[in-house]
Amino acid sequence: MVAVGQMNEARRARRLRVSSVTTYRVVALVLVFASWEIAGASGLFFRGVIPSTVLIAQAFVRLFGDPAFYTHFAITLFEIVVGFVIGSSIGVIVGLALGINRFTGEVFEPMLHYLASTPKVVFLPILLILFGIGVGSKISLGAMSCFFPMALSVAAGVRTINPMFLRVGQSLNLSLGNRIRKIYIPALTPPIATGLRLGFGIATVGCLMSEIKLSNHGLGYAAMQSYNRFDIPTMLALLLVIFTLAGLGNYLIGRLVRLPGPTNRRVTALPPR
Amino acid sequence: MSDMTALDNTAADTLPTLRIDRVTKSFHTAKGKITAVDDVSLDIRQGEFISIIGPSGCGKSTLMNMVGGLIADFDGQILLDGKAVRGCQPSIGMVFQEESTFPWRTAIENVAFPLEAAGMERDRRVARARELLDLVGLTGFENHYPSELSGGMRQRIAIARTLAFEPKVLLMDEPFAALDEQTRLLLGDKVVQIQQQLRQTTLLITHNISEAVHLSDRVLIMTFRPGRIKRVVEINLPRPRSSEMMGSEKFAKFVAEIWHDLREEASKGLRESEAAAAAR
Ligand SMILES: Nc1ncnc2c1ncn2[C@@H]1O[C@H](COP(=O)(O)OP(=O)(O)O)[C@@H](O)[C@H]1O
Ligand SMILES: [Mg+2]
Repeated sequence: MVAVGQMNEARRARRLRVSSVTTYRVVALVLVFASWEIAGASGLFFRGVIPSTVLIAQAFVRLFGDPAFYTHFAITLFEIVVGFVIGSSIGVIVGLALGINRFTGEVFEPMLHYLASTPKVVFLPILLILFGIGVGSKISLGAMSCFFPMALSVAAGVRTINPMFLRVGQSLNLSLGNRIRKIYIPALTPPIATGLRLGFGIATVGCLMSEIKLSNHGLGYAAMQSYNRFDIPTMLALLLVIFTLAGLGNYLIGRLVRLPGPTNRRVTALPPR
Repeated sequence: MSDMTALDNTAADTLPTLRIDRVTKSFHTAKGKITAVDDVSLDIRQGEFISIIGPSGCGKSTLMNMVGGLIADFDGQILLDGKAVRGCQPSIGMVFQEESTFPWRTAIENVAFPLEAAGMERDRRVARARELLDLVGLTGFENHYPSELSGGMRQRIAIARTLAFEPKVLLMDEPFAALDEQTRLLLGDKVVQIQQQLRQTTLLITHNISEAVHLSDRVLIMTFRPGRIKRVVEINLPRPRSSEMMGSEKFAKFVAEIWHDLREEASKGLRESEAAAAAR
């Protein structure tokens, strides 16, 4: 009886917490909307910079009825996904090479750290010369952007692998390929998952950045065009689409990349003795 | 057929499969040279069960790692069936002192690991892994992850995983060190039973004197640094053995005899660690 009472109490406390979280979220959203409308109507800003949410909603309706929007959307999605896949894969490979071989790690890792912290747009002129203003330069900038966090995260992860796992592989005389596939990769699932989640957002930034700078298609290009026409509602609608895309991608990766093991957690940690 | 048995009983049985020949290993550290293993020689016959006993830090693990091929740079020679051992090979299986099961694999996937890496097809390796789990008494726990099992069960998984490759030589470094006394005894019974069944040449490192007497044909006592062989005690207790004979008079005599020799080395080790603690 006591146990049941406790359980009910815990459930009630949880429900209370959940409902208050929801309440606060709704309040916050209402506040954002209200201040947006107030700021727009106040006349403090240049006319049309903060359009009413009604205008933005109308822009959405127009956008979704326009076939060109879907082409831009598809192209941007394609660039992000391809750039993300290429950049992440190369990132895993380079990260493993840096982590497994102490010498290559010592030589190249500091360089990678410096490059990782420079904004990748500075490479855009080179990429434009190499790949043109089509999808090539966008994909390569996206790939380049998400390569660095993945490579560094994996290289650091290799050093935290329990040495016993590697000794088992060594005692069985496993080939390098087998060691990578059956020991390193599963042991590195957490840093790889982190690299993927970070990388998707960064690849999105990379692709859109280059679309905005110099391009003739994609959501970034469409947003810039609306800006040039001073069609602020459409521009904002496009930006919201981009935010949603990045957020959704991040969410999907978080759901899809499951850590192996019983609790889907603690992959590198040893089980308690 | 009769020729074969004749051969088994004479030549094959007396021919040493594993020969450790004047092996020495020193480590060069910041504090100077440490000779971990000093001039150790030993012939181990096919199917023999040998225990190595000695104080902590006397070089037992180092010796095992050399035999297993994890340390390839040493003086002297280690021969398996007449061929020099340098580097790891599947015919020598190792069970480590530390926890070594893969937490991302279930019990059966852990045991099947070496077979999977060798490219054995799925059905066959699963069937084989199931047999081995049964052998170590873990039927019913196939789909449990290591973190859901006890330390003793995880160590049994590690043993089954090593047996999966059917190594000719089995090296075990204090495999029961982290276990409680009862589990240790039961697991010891299991290991001696499996070893008698598979006739593997076995080298067991242990701290525990009665465990060494219980399981072995011969017990090697090592000296405290530098690690040398101090004495070899032949355990001529009848087989099959179980932990139940531990009450016998003969058993107690062996334990007392080994402790007599070991005591001196252990107290040397104790003095040294006390001196080190005082210096700090
Ligand atoms: N890789 C190493 N580098 C330096 N010293 C080592 C190394 N491995 C072992 N030693 C030293 O060699 C001695 C024997 O170690 P070990 O073989 O692990 O002993 P045991 O297993 O008998 O406890 C110890 O004094 C230890 O400090
Ligand atoms: Mg040891």
